Amino acid sequence: MTETITLSDAKVIIENQIEELARRNREPEWMTRIRYKALEAFEKAPLNDLVISEEELLHFIAKPEIEGIPENIESLDDLPPEMKALLDRLGINEVEQKYIAGLAVQTDTGVIYNEFLKEWEKKGLMVLPTEEAVRKYPDIVKQHFLKLFRADENKLTAYHTAVWNGGIFLYVKEGLKVPFPLHLFFLIQESALAQAPHIIIIAEPNTEFHLIEGCTAPILVKHSLHLDMTEAYIHGGAKAQLTVLQNWPEYVHTRPMTRAKIGKGARFINTTVGLGTGKSNVANPRYWVDENGYVELNGILLGQKDWFIDLGGEMYLQGKGAAGINASKAVIMDESTVITRGVIKAEAPKAKGHISCDALLMSDKATMETYPGLVSRVDDAELSHEAAIGKIREEELFYLMSRGLDEEKATQLIVKGFLEPMLKDIPMEFLVEIRKIIELAVSGGM
Amino acid sequence: MLKVENLHVSVEGKPILKGLTLAVNSGEFHVIMGPNGSGKSTLALTIAGHPKYSVEGGRILFDDEDITALGPHERARRGIMLAFQHPPEVEGVRIIEFLQQVLVETKGVDPVEAYDMIIKKAEELWFKEEDLHRHLNVGFSGGERKRLEILQALLIEPKLLILDEPDSGVDVDSLSVISRKIEELHQRGTAVLLITHYGRILGHLDREKLRAHVMKDGRIVKTGSGELVDRIENEGFGKIFEEVEG
Repeated sequence: MTETITLSDAKVIIENQIEELARRNREPEWMTRIRYKALEAFEKAPLNDLVISEEELLHFIAKPEIEGIPENIESLDDLPPEMKALLDRLGINEVEQKYIAGLAVQTDTGVIYNEFLKEWEKKGLMVLPTEEAVRKYPDIVKQHFLKLFRADENKLTAYHTAVWNGGIFLYVKEGLKVPFPLHLFFLIQESALAQAPHIIIIAEPNTEFHLIEGCTAPILVKHSLHLDMTEAYIHGGAKAQLTVLQNWPEYVHTRPMTRAKIGKGARFINTTVGLGTGKSNVANPRYWVDENGYVELNGILLGQKDWFIDLGGEMYLQGKGAAGINASKAVIMDESTVITRGVIKAEAPKAKGHISCDALLMSDKATMETYPGLVSRVDDAELSHEAAIGKIREEELFYLMSRGLDEEKATQLIVKGFLEPMLKDIPMEFLVEIRKIIELAVSGGM
Repeated sequence: MLKVENLHVSVEGKPILKGLTLAVNSGEFHVIMGPNGSGKSTLALTIAGHPKYSVEGGRILFDDEDITALGPHERARRGIMLAFQHPPEVEGVRIIEFLQQVLVETKGVDPVEAYDMIIKKAEELWFKEEDLHRHLNVGFSGGERKRLEILQALLIEPKLLILDEPDSGVDVDSLSVISRKIEELHQRGTAVLLITHYGRILGHLDREKLRAHVMKDGRIVKTGSGELVDRIENEGFGKIFEEVEG
C-alpha cells in the first residue's frame, strides 16, 4: 500500500470499469444503469465487514488492469498454458472426459462449456454466462437480477453490483430432471482483482439438478477479493442442490453472497465445503422457505493458519410446515478462528428448524465460537439446536496408533471421519481431491 | 522375546505397577490373573505404549531392543498387538478403510488384496461385508467389539498378542469363536499374553504348556502352570495370597 486511495478515486476507477464492462459485454443500457445506480449507492452504503477495512477495500478496487488473459475464451485450448496446467493438476480435463457431463469453467473473462451441455439445451437446460443471458433473455434476467439483494445494503453488495463480471445463468425448464451434476469452476488469476461473478439459478417447478461450484487451485497471488453473488429461485416441487467447493489461495478474501427463495414443497440443499477458505471468508446466506419447503445449509469448514471464517445462515420459514436445517462441521487448526451463527426464524405454523454445530479443535491457539439463533413467531414451531466443540480423544488416537499408524495418519483418519457424513452427496472424483486436501492440511497443521 | 524388567508405572501420579518382572518367549502362552485393581490392564496398556501410563522405573525389552520410550505405532510395527478390554468407539472411521490402511502401511499389502483378505477373515468372525462399512466399534455390542479385536489380530498376525479380558462382556457363542481363534493364532506361532478372570476361554489348550501368573498390588506374586488357573477359579485368590504371604 504505497499510496492512499480516496473514495472518489475509487469511484472513478469503478466508473471506468463499468464503461469497460459495458463495452466488452455489449451490454444493454438497462444493465449499465443498474451498475451506475450501484455506484451511487457505493458511496453512502455502510461497510460492515469484520475483516476488510475501507482502506483495504479501496486498495482492492484500485488494482492494475489484467494482463495475459485472452479476450475471448471459446475452449480450454484458448487458456494460457499456466492455467491449463492448473486445470490438469486439478484433474479437470480428465474429469470432463471421463465423468462430468456438464462443465463450465469460469475464468476472469468468460465461461467455457462443453458440447454435452448444448445437447441438453434442447431439453430445456440453459447454462450460459450471465453477460450473455443479459443480452439473450433480458426479460427473464430483469425479473431475477438483484431481486433478492439490494445494491445499497452495504459497500460490498454495491461494489459487486457495479462491477459484476462472469458468473452463470442456469435455467431449468419445468419438470426437467438433470441426471448428472453440473460443474462450474472459478479461478482467480490476477492479484487485487475483485472477481465478482453473478449467478442466477432458476429452477422451474418439479425440476431436479445438482450444481457444483468448484474450486480453485492454490495460485500465488498477493491479494484478491472474491465477491460472488448467487440468487436462486427454487420453485414449487423442485429439488435443487448447490454445492460450493472452496479452495482459495490463502491471500484471497472471499465474501460469498447467497440467497434463495424456496417454493411450495421444494427442496434446496446448499453445501459449502470450505477447504481453503482464504485469508478470510465471511458468508451469511439467506433463505426464504414457503409451505412445506425444505432448506439445508451444510457447512464444512477447515480453518488453517491465521484464517478467519464466519459462516452465518438465516432461514425464514414463512410457509406452513416449512423446514430448515443448518449443520456445520469445523476442523480448526493452527491459529485460525471459526465462527458459526445460524439463525432460523419460524414465521408460520408447524415450521421446523434445527441448528447443529460440531467442531474439532486441533490446536490450543485455534478459536471456535458458535451462536445459534432460534426465533419463533408461532406457538407450534419445533426449533432446536446442538453444539459440540471438542478435541480428538486420546483413547481414539491411541487405539488407531496401536495398530501401527503414526500420529499423523491416525489424526487424518479421525478428521476425515469427522467430516465424512457431510460429504455424502459429493461425486467421487471430488471426494478424492477433498480427502487429499484434508490430509495435506492435517499434516501441515501438526 | 518380551522382557519386562522391574517395571514401575504410574497413572496421573498414582503408582500402579511396583516392580513387575515378566518374560515371554516366542510362541509361549501366558495367562495373567489377579483381582480388580491389581494392575493387569495397566501392564497391558504400558506394553502397548499408552501415553497416559508413565514408566517411572525399569524397562521393557522386545527382541532385545529397549522399547520403553517408543510410541505405540512403533511398538505395533515391531510385532506387539493389544486387543483392548474396552475398544473405544471411533466415530466416522470405517472398519474396512481403517484395516485396509493398516495392512497397506504395516505389511505393504496391495489395497485391493487387503480388501479381499479382510472380507474373508471377517467371515470367520461372523462379520458380513456390510458390517465392515460401519464405524469402528460405534454401537457395537460387547461380543462384536471383542470379535473385531480378534479379527484385527488375525489380520495383523503379531509376534506378541496381548489380550485384555477378551472374555468380558461377551455372549457364549462369541466366546467360543474368540477362544478358537486365539488358539489358532497361537498354533501359527503368535505368543500370547492373556489377561482373564476365567479359565474357560483357554478351551482345549494344554494346561501343562501354559504359564500362569497371579498379580497383586502391581506385582506378580505367583507363577505356575495352567493348573493354577483352575485352582484360582475354584478357590479364589484368597488362598493363594495367603500361601504367598504366609
